[in-house]
Amino acid sequence: MKDEESRDDVEVSDVIPLDLRRHDEVVAEFNSATPSRTWYHYLLIAASIVFAAVSVGFVGTILWNSLPEWAHHTGTLLGGNGWQSPTGPFGGLAMIVGTLETSLIALAVAVVIGLGTSISIVFFIPRRFRNIVATLVELLAAVPSIVYGLWGFLVLAPWMLNTVNPWLNKWPFASILFGNPGQEFGTSLLLASIVLAVMILPTFVAISREVISVVPQDLIEASLSLGATRWQVIREVVLPTARIGLFGATFLALARATGETVAVALVAGGVANTQFHLLYPGTSIAAWIATEFGEAQGNEIAALMALGVLLMLLNFGLSLISRALVNRQRRVLAVV
Amino acid sequence: MSDIVELEQPKEIGHEMREEIRRISDRHRARRQLRSRVMVTLCAIALAITAVPLLLLLYQLFRRGLPVILHASFFTQLPQTPTLVTPNATGGVSNAILGSLVLTAYATIMAVPVGVLVGVYLAESDSKLASLLRIISQTMAGAPSILMGLFAFSFVVRALHVGFSAIAGSFALAVLMLPVIVISSEIAVRGVPNTLREAGLALGAKPHKVSLRIVLPSAVTGIVTGIILAVSRAIGETAPVLLTIGGGYINAWKPLDPVSALPLSIYENAKSEWPSLRTQVWGIALVLVVFVFVLSLSARMWASRKQQAR
Repeated sequence: MKDEESRDDVEVSDVIPLDLRRHDEVVAEFNSATPSRTWYHYLLIAASIVFAAVSVGFVGTILWNSLPEWAHHTGTLLGGNGWQSPTGPFGGLAMIVGTLETSLIALAVAVVIGLGTSISIVFFIPRRFRNIVATLVELLAAVPSIVYGLWGFLVLAPWMLNTVNPWLNKWPFASILFGNPGQEFGTSLLLASIVLAVMILPTFVAISREVISVVPQDLIEASLSLGATRWQVIREVVLPTARIGLFGATFLALARATGETVAVALVAGGVANTQFHLLYPGTSIAAWIATEFGEAQGNEIAALMALGVLLMLLNFGLSLISRALVNRQRRVLAVV
Repeated sequence: MSDIVELEQPKEIGHEMREEIRRISDRHRARRQLRSRVMVTLCAIALAITAVPLLLLLYQLFRRGLPVILHASFFTQLPQTPTLVTPNATGGVSNAILGSLVLTAYATIMAVPVGVLVGVYLAESDSKLASLLRIISQTMAGAPSILMGLFAFSFVVRALHVGFSAIAGSFALAVLMLPVIVISSEIAVRGVPNTLREAGLALGAKPHKVSLRIVLPSAVTGIVTGIILAVSRAIGETAPVLLTIGGGYINAWKPLDPVSALPLSIYENAKSEWPSLRTQVWGIALVLVVFVFVLSLSARMWASRKQQAR
């Protein structure tokens, strides 16, 4: 009741200040209240500038250090064969081809199998086990790639050498595709593709499971009530609704496969030959940088940096394409 | 007369048509259900194909790794090189464990303040700088880790003349962690309800006070989850440390010392000629995986705590 009494004493200008004060006074007070004039805002800006500088430095440093090689040997780097270690020429064709081969095969396998897996996890697994399986998948996605590489190198490579290679060599059409090295190499481009596929599967499943599980239940039930079978619901309703996220998951998996370093370095064989027969050893851009960097000097470091630039272009290109696709899909969906 | 015929005929045709439609729809339904059953089976097979290698990997990791780590010397001793006389003398990996912890700690100290502040800035600003930084952080988050190694090698090891050292490796890991922390902090800060901000402003708090005293404390669980995930990614990365930390067989922890790391010793031991080292490598891998699992699970627990708090 004290408030009631004191209300008489309140000045009019306190209650409605905006109308009674001069415009510039109001603007000044407003500005002092916004964060743009405080130490806190400057701190945020400073951190952002540090982050931007690190990112620019990241791209710039690698570009700058690769320049000596780009200036003289662009053709060799993009299309040359063979890597003569101390002096050059340093041909990048084998690494480019190996990167594309291994990651595209791994992606094809992982997307087909991964999509089936996430559909099963979301729709077919009993509800009790669903959370356990989802947690397990996410844990597996967090397993460091070196562990996948180690498993591929110590377990799968002997198995490939002793079991898979002889078996594949029995088939005449297989030797056209895979080559026929006999029991010479355990590590090969095919093994690298397999290990990459196993490695990116949990990543792909973790994302696509989440994307599929957020498809509205209403849509699924409406479709079921119209008499659609389970597969029709998945094909006509779930997958189209989830396709943006599935694109994202695919590109992320591809980016992870192309950039994978040590796992491929262990299981691809580490030979700089442009190789289309998958049972022979090969290498990838990232793996070659890792294996050669230790002993590299002078020009070779520049050449490896140039390979790094190629990897960066590939990766940034993929990320740009995926963002453009996702944005376009979003616009289309917004119109609909 | 003609009226009656016209009235009766449609009845007949209608009946036949209904029968025909039922036949077609029965056949169609059978086909749809068959196709559905086939595809559902294929999905289940896909699940099995996914599960087999991954569970096999986990099984073999624990089966071969557990006997190795059950010896206390594995954690306390320095590594030894086996000789022809002592082919089983592998020592322990104390230097790699210490190195990994030290590297991750330095990287976290470098990355967390900048990352969280940038995330807060992105969440509360719509300036051109913010949208540029958002694109940069998304692109950097997907960049191959070997590039961080190349960057840290040319910048810290070479240009700054620091040499192979813990600080060079942790710089590479910090560059790797930064975008992850930025993105997760932005999401966490954006998730704070606007009503909280407005309540703070309505009580007369200055915007930076609202951000520091209300928004950040509410977003802290999300931010911590992001940091833990970034740490768990950094601790397992091999490629950046391969080019920068130099390795070494002593317990070193100072920023300028060359250090070893768990992923690096896995990479080196796996390629070793000695069977004893190739056995020991499973123990190192198991330790690393346990580190990562503990971090990931604690991140999940933080996240679920956040949901309960809401």
